[in-house]
Amino acid sequence: MSYIVPIGPYHPSLEEPIHVKLYTDGEIITDSDVFIGYNHRGIEKLTTERNPIQTITLVERVCGICSHSHPFTYCRALEEIAGMEVPKRGQYIRVIIAELERLHSHFLWLGLAAHIIGFDSLFMYTFSARENVMDMLEMLSGNRVNYAMNIVGGARRDFSKEQLDNLLKMINDLKEPFGKVLDIYANDKTIALRTKGVGVLTKDDAFIFGAVGPTGRASSQSDDVRKVDPYSSYEDFNFKSISVDNCDVFGRAVVRLLEVEESFKIIEQAAKNIPYGPINLGVKIPKIPAGESFVRTEAPRGELTYYVVYGGGPNNYRVNIHVPTFKNAAAVPAMLKNNTVADAGLIVASIDPCFSCLDR
Amino acid sequence: MHKTNITNITKEEVVTLAEKMLSKGSRLVIMNGYVDTEGKNSIVYNYDVEGRVETYICRGYEKLPSITPIYKGSAQWCEEEICEMMPIEFQGLNKSGRLFLPDDFDGTGQILVTPLAELKKNNKEE
Repeated sequence: MSYIVPIGPYHPSLEEPIHVKLYTDGEIITDSDVFIGYNHRGIEKLTTERNPIQTITLVERVCGICSHSHPFTYCRALEEIAGMEVPKRGQYIRVIIAELERLHSHFLWLGLAAHIIGFDSLFMYTFSARENVMDMLEMLSGNRVNYAMNIVGGARRDFSKEQLDNLLKMINDLKEPFGKVLDIYANDKTIALRTKGVGVLTKDDAFIFGAVGPTGRASSQSDDVRKVDPYSSYEDFNFKSISVDNCDVFGRAVVRLLEVEESFKIIEQAAKNIPYGPINLGVKIPKIPAGESFVRTEAPRGELTYYVVYGGGPNNYRVNIHVPTFKNAAAVPAMLKNNTVADAGLIVASIDPCFSCLDR
Repeated sequence: MHKTNITNITKEEVVTLAEKMLSKGSRLVIMNGYVDTEGKNSIVYNYDVEGRVETYICRGYEKLPSITPIYKGSAQWCEEEICEMMPIEFQGLNKSGRLFLPDDFDGTGQILVTPLAELKKNNKEE
């Protein structure tokens, strides 16, 4: 018997609004449609009324998880138009915050995936570990969510030696609880049964839908912007770009788990080798000449792109924001096909969607 | 320092460029759109060529050929979004309906050419 099963846009099992229409044959999903746009706030239009200082504050609020990636990318776009070179210490500070953001985002996903699977003890254990990352961010920036660490020309705040020593100790302490999470994900039978072979996105589909971030890299894509197109001194650090060929939900978990280890490495190297010197160019009110720039960074969920057009006036002429979910959500129907309705929630969640980001 | 290299292309080059990029295995990173100060449409195609982004801009057309037959899923939402935001038509694009805007959206992209004050006023009246 064929049914159409609608999920959302507002549903108790969804963290954020999305509407998915499942076309089923019995328990099996034969096709699906994804509808977005339930959180559209017109942020791009609002940027046309704002100067760079106001825009940094605005774009930091596009998303609550990758709230450093947005102003970071926006500032990089303006710096490129204005021909500014950020001081090395400022670049390292941006990298440390970006990697801490990746840690807390990946821990968030690992916890939520465990919760959706029904493994609530793992969910609580992962979230308990995540709290340590939030503490690190609070210790360094004074904030747990919107860190306000970016200005045009560099970083807003410096780190003291005590803060960096404390950061290294906290990262070291986090390795033990993370090891336990890694062990459970790698060896637990329940996790394996719920994730292996589920929500398959083939390598060809990943390319044709343009899947990015851990979703793309779990399907053999190698698009880590930090490696292929380094920015903000990422070329100074020794780390690996993680890519696996599982193509399923388990593969997406593996990529995120291994990326946590790589982020540990980057933070440790950055904290130990951070150069002395200025953290920004000392620009109080940036004057941006006319120009346009396309910039991308590797946000926790994948490639974040900003296309900024400046007309030479005080305000932005156009800021076009595209987040990883814009590409990954379009690939969801390909992942859902031939899976059961019971797995639909986990498959949608496996791309680590952020509809607040996506709709902006 | 990273620098965006922009190449201007014509309407006729859009499809041949996309075919060339696909044959090289280059990914369509994203498409952007804006209406310039003279009211002309500018559509931006960003391709990842061996790790470097190549940016191509097609300016001044009200109709452009869709590249969805070539880049399928990758270009679908990009073109649909641009259609919603600005007055342009992609010939050959099979629209699935609205993307970001409300269900009663009439399908004409005017957001980028309508002043914000007017949008706010309309919102208040509703």
